[in-house]
Amino acid sequence: MNLALEDALCNRLARIRALGAARIRPVGLEADRAGAPLPPDHPFFAELVRLGLGRTRWLGGEDPDDAGPTTTEARRERSERDEETRGERGSPSFTGVVLAEELAYWDRGVAVAFPGPGLGEPPILAMGTPEQKQRFLGPFRAPDRPRWGSFAMTEPGAGSDVAAIRTACRRDGADWVLDGDKSFAANASRADWIVVFATCDPALGRAGHRAFVVERGTPGLGDFRIERKMGLEAYESTSFTLRGCRVPAANLLGGEERQSGRAGFKGAMQSFNATRPMIGAMAVGIGRAALDETLAFARSHDRLGDPRVRDRLERSRRKLQAARLLCWRAAWLADQQRPNVLEASMAKAVAPQAAFEAAALGMELLGEEGGRGDHLIEKLFRDVKAMDIVEGTGQIQRVLMARQLVGLPRD
Amino acid sequence: MIDFDLDPALELLRETARRFGAERLRPRERESEAARAVGAPNLAAAAEIGLAAAAWPESLGGAALGALGRAVVLEELAAADPGAALALDPLGPAVHALAELGGEPALRTHAGPLIGRPGARAWLAWNGDGRVTLRGGRADGRLPWVPADRLDLLVLLDRDAAAVVEADGLPLAPLRGAGLRAAGASEVVLAGAPVRAWWVHPRGARRALARARLDLAALLVGVARAAAELSRAYALQRVAFGRPIAHHQALAFLIADMASAVDGARLLVHDAALRLDAEEDADGACAAAFVEAAEQALFVTPNALQILGGHGFVQDYPIEKWMREARALSLLHGGVDAAREDAGRALVASDAPLALAGTAPR
Ligand SMILES: Cc1cc2nc3c(=O)[nH]c(=O)nc-3n(C[C@H](O)[C@H](O)[C@H](O)COP(=O)(O)OP(=O)(O)OC[C@H]3O[C@@H](n4cnc5c(N)ncnc54)[C@H](O)[C@@H]3O)c2cc1C
Repeated sequence: MNLALEDALCNRLARIRALGAARIRPVGLEADRAGAPLPPDHPFFAELVRLGLGRTRWLGGEDPDDAGPTTTEARRERSERDEETRGERGSPSFTGVVLAEELAYWDRGVAVAFPGPGLGEPPILAMGTPEQKQRFLGPFRAPDRPRWGSFAMTEPGAGSDVAAIRTACRRDGADWVLDGDKSFAANASRADWIVVFATCDPALGRAGHRAFVVERGTPGLGDFRIERKMGLEAYESTSFTLRGCRVPAANLLGGEERQSGRAGFKGAMQSFNATRPMIGAMAVGIGRAALDETLAFARSHDRLGDPRVRDRLERSRRKLQAARLLCWRAAWLADQQRPNVLEASMAKAVAPQAAFEAAALGMELLGEEGGRGDHLIEKLFRDVKAMDIVEGTGQIQRVLMARQLVGLPRD
Repeated sequence: MIDFDLDPALELLRETARRFGAERLRPRERESEAARAVGAPNLAAAAEIGLAAAAWPESLGGAALGALGRAVVLEELAAADPGAALALDPLGPAVHALAELGGEPALRTHAGPLIGRPGARAWLAWNGDGRVTLRGGRADGRLPWVPADRLDLLVLLDRDAAAVVEADGLPLAPLRGAGLRAAGASEVVLAGAPVRAWWVHPRGARRALARARLDLAALLVGVARAAAELSRAYALQRVAFGRPIAHHQALAFLIADMASAVDGARLLVHDAALRLDAEEDADGACAAAFVEAAEQALFVTPNALQILGGHGFVQDYPIEKWMREARALSLLHGGVDAAREDAGRALVASDAPLALAGTAPR
């Protein structure tokens, strides 16, 4: 057993920390004050792309050397990068969870606004054909400019109960035609493409689901409306409509054969198993930020001599540390290719509550300073609540856990 | 590389302790409670397997498996019978004070003679509140509850020092005990008992306390786990309103939360143990693990009882016993509140309260 982070990962964390303090947190506060997402042409995004961020995890093709560098210089660079990410290739989930926590520490909203394929990537990786990966993830391998992907499952009438989505797809010649309403999709209005889940027959439930990659500018895709949220303002959560939206058959994820049966739904759910520990870790990051700010405030106001204050800070720290370890374990299990459904849901169920508690405690210690609405802790308090909602609410995590623990029936 | 699996040696130890608990301790749990002792065959078998010795230093014939090894064994034994877990360990938490403050010579002199003595018991009594005064080489005071019916070694620990008190001839007045009766329960009155050894070593005293707290934390995780498992199994059998009670969402969610409680507390225990084994400053981590384990055990055990309803309240099931024992365990070594205070002080003293850097050997 070993819970020590390797040096290479610590170095990456140190770099995120530097970027976080200098850029991520300030732009997050900027968006919060503006009450609007960072615009796609915000210089920060171009900066991230120049730093080599906003890329896909997809390595491209079967042979990792297929785009191999030729010059000595390039080879040296590459071997340095390989050295750094050596651990990551063995443990992509764990690495992702550790980095996600640190990004969220600086600003979770900005972290989601980062260019990249986003939540659209896991279903493409899980279900896409090699050509689809090349077409949709290829441009994210070394992007020329900030690019985004998006993921749209939720509808105004169906959130937790994903099987109840009503967006319809029907085959028409060489194309598919989509009709329906989607909501909450992160980065949708700026995305190159959106992975849209639809049903070819609501009576079939999950078996009727199909996932499509709908590209920007496709006629019938429109009515983008950016929601006004309580927090996490830095990225857009967007509703949109599909009206007779015609999508080529080549954009049906996995092609016709993969999509028969429950593959479509399973693909979506699998991607959640991978991302749940990540959301948990982001909650820990927000909670940690709140705890650190609270400690700093309490220290500067001479409150740390009060045992009641210490007790409550201690409780917060302990809950966050336990939550962090649960997230780490779930991700590590995924990297070991071991079942982690129970552990992933556990992490996602526990962490947001610990984080909310940390932020709520911070507000309480701030007192009226928190009531003013201009303190970082106040923003964290608004941001953190979403973590118990997105990618399966706390209740849904408990339903999933109970299926594992006591075979709770799906009624 | 990060690794949540126990090393093969520890995994084997865990398996052995688990089997020993399930096959030999759990079936006699009520018997041991009534007898205020673990039967001689089980005492001998546990010594033979070397369960308590797993974490002892090699000089005592131990396997030196460290704080993590000790936590693993204690959790497994407590998951079968928490009182027996104490009774099976001749050195108990006293070994921590001897090792941390007196080192090898102290272990040889004071712990050595207990090994191989059937049914021997040692105890580490917390004296941070000065309930016992040490003056002129004599100890005076009262220990209201020691979970033992005999004492071969008594060590007193406070913030800065530890003292070995002559145990031979100490009057032990038997008590009913709120729980852990398989280990015995006595009041100990010290009336001028000779002090045989004394060490002042604040750092060692802190580490000894940290280790003793981590023992309690591991035991609490074991009790909580046992209660969570038993109530989950029960909830699948018991039918009400036409379905297993586990399939009513109020209980399904509770069962899920109980599982999270146990796993989260265990991870804090293992994290703290790894820090101890890596010679890091782990006082705060051990104190926090104790507080968390106590808090979660006091969430899990009464709710487990609740899941059994009236059947949980009667003694046909061990749940009522475990609830009492979870409460009792968390009163030892100065109790949870003092641990919370220490963890809080450690937190506010550090600049990086939740620093990402992990622990343990690279
Ligand atoms: C900031 C933000 C970003 C988001 N980003 C995306 C995105 O990028 N893409 C996307 O597709 N979606 C996104 N979502 C949507 C999100 O996934 C849903 O909000 C979430 O799944 C809950 O669905 P709902 O809001 O419809 O609530 P409902 O499903 O209506 O739930 C309402 C309440 O009922 C409870 N409940 C429901 N079913 C049960 C049950 N069986 N047992 C017990 N309780 C139950 C829920 O826990 C909740 O408390 C986002 C949401 C937010 C807030």
